[in-house]
Amino acid sequence: MRNLLYKEFKLCTTPTVFIFMAFVLMLLIPNYMYLIPAFFLCNAIFQAFQQGDTNNDLSFTMLLPVSKKQAVMAKYLYAAIIQLVMLLLYIPMILLNNAVTPQPNEMLDACPTLLGGVLTVFALFNLIFFPTYYKRDCKPGKGFLIATIVIFVWIFTFEGFFIVSKAFADQVWIFNWIQNNIDCIPANSASMTAQLTAILIGLIIYALLTFISFKKSVSNLDKVNL
Amino acid sequence: MNILEVEGLRKEYPEFTLDNVSFSLEPGYIMGFIGRNGAGKTTTMKAMLNLIGKDGGRVMIDGLDYSKNEIECKKKIGFIMGEFDYYKQSKLKTIACVVKRMYEDWDEEAYKGYMKHFGLSEEKKVKELSAGMRVKFGLALALSHNAKLLILDEPTSGLDPVSRDDLLDVLRGVIEDGTRSILYSTHIISDLEKCADYITYIHDGRILLSTDVVSFKEKYLLVSGDMDDLARYSDIIIGHKDHAFGFTGLILAENKDRIGSMKTAPADLESIMIYTEQEASLNA
Repeated sequence: MRNLLYKEFKLCTTPTVFIFMAFVLMLLIPNYMYLIPAFFLCNAIFQAFQQGDTNNDLSFTMLLPVSKKQAVMAKYLYAAIIQLVMLLLYIPMILLNNAVTPQPNEMLDACPTLLGGVLTVFALFNLIFFPTYYKRDCKPGKGFLIATIVIFVWIFTFEGFFIVSKAFADQVWIFNWIQNNIDCIPANSASMTAQLTAILIGLIIYALLTFISFKKSVSNLDKVNL
Repeated sequence: MNILEVEGLRKEYPEFTLDNVSFSLEPGYIMGFIGRNGAGKTTTMKAMLNLIGKDGGRVMIDGLDYSKNEIECKKKIGFIMGEFDYYKQSKLKTIACVVKRMYEDWDEEAYKGYMKHFGLSEEKKVKELSAGMRVKFGLALALSHNAKLLILDEPTSGLDPVSRDDLLDVLRGVIEDGTRSILYSTHIISDLEKCADYITYIHDGRILLSTDVVSFKEKYLLVSGDMDDLARYSDIIIGHKDHAFGFTGLILAENKDRIGSMKTAPADLESIMIYTEQEASLNA
């Protein structure tokens, strides 16, 4: 698997992966949807697949001494590593955001909860993009298009929820609790615990949906005539 | 023990069926896999390697069942489909660096030797290579991991006659020690005349014949005669071509005693294939 991962990074990684990672700098924009950079990273993975498609990567891989399952696993690990790096990049950018733009965001604040949100974006991408890619013709366009639509609906819903919770924080107690514990820069151990729980929930969703996606992708590729 | 055994391989498509394909290959030989476009050569090779799901049959590589030991079997195989058409923007050394990590038996010295022999520079990118050079690079990779079985699908189609001849010499050299074999599909039948020991002939998804080249050629005879002969012996003539002096056609050697005064000549592989296909298309 290590050798296959080496192949992914050596032959399939394009500079766009790093360019799109740099979009994490968007966290310095005040009053912005901070889940958007996570979507751009999904775009980077799509670009890597696009590049792989141009290079007949899948056919080449299947001629190597690996099984179809291993070939799929390598792609998932490759995506997971890139997603993890992006997640880690979010951390200093959240701190920088708090230092540069300390006023609250109109949407979800740049806070630990955001990391949970980022994981859900990656989870949705993995759930939709990979199994669609490994279905029939192994072309990445369709899967990315569907994933884009779903992710944007999710981002708008997610961010919209925090706009509503901010607007009605004084009237509805749950929104008030969210504003004081989830959508804020953690001020005490209670809010930190709540936000770490939000990250954990994001992580569970990510692991679960990615696992389901992996199983489906392996099954799909098994039926593909290369 | 056979290095390759294909037994009852089946693959069904709506318009085409690979039907009960069976053949085998011993170590130390080259088998030419012939048939016209769409006959099922590439489908057979891909089904053998699980690149397309098969609907039945079994493939054994060096005594191992391919379905149950895919990775082990792949280590024993070098597979080339036409020219090397992967990662065109990458340098050859980058690709080789990836490939060599995948094989425990990678022979760096042999790799360097083949690269030198084929006149390939590792610093070049794939897109900078001619079609012929790409074939050679694919071969250099396949030959450098000590594969016991080389499966080559149209490897010489992009090569000039000199390069083809050179390649055939390399292939003969590969099997010389008697431990390795080559399954080799091509439309350039004259190449097989030079190097193949066995021929497997596929037509419309079915194996018509799989035997050694001498027996294959001895099964047939070329005959020539006038148009009266053609009419008289049409029931035993397998395809023919008319010309100014009459016709030339193919018969089964077992019918030699039934052709009267017609002239006969040994059949070559290309003629056998052309006349057989002609007959088949007339009967279709």
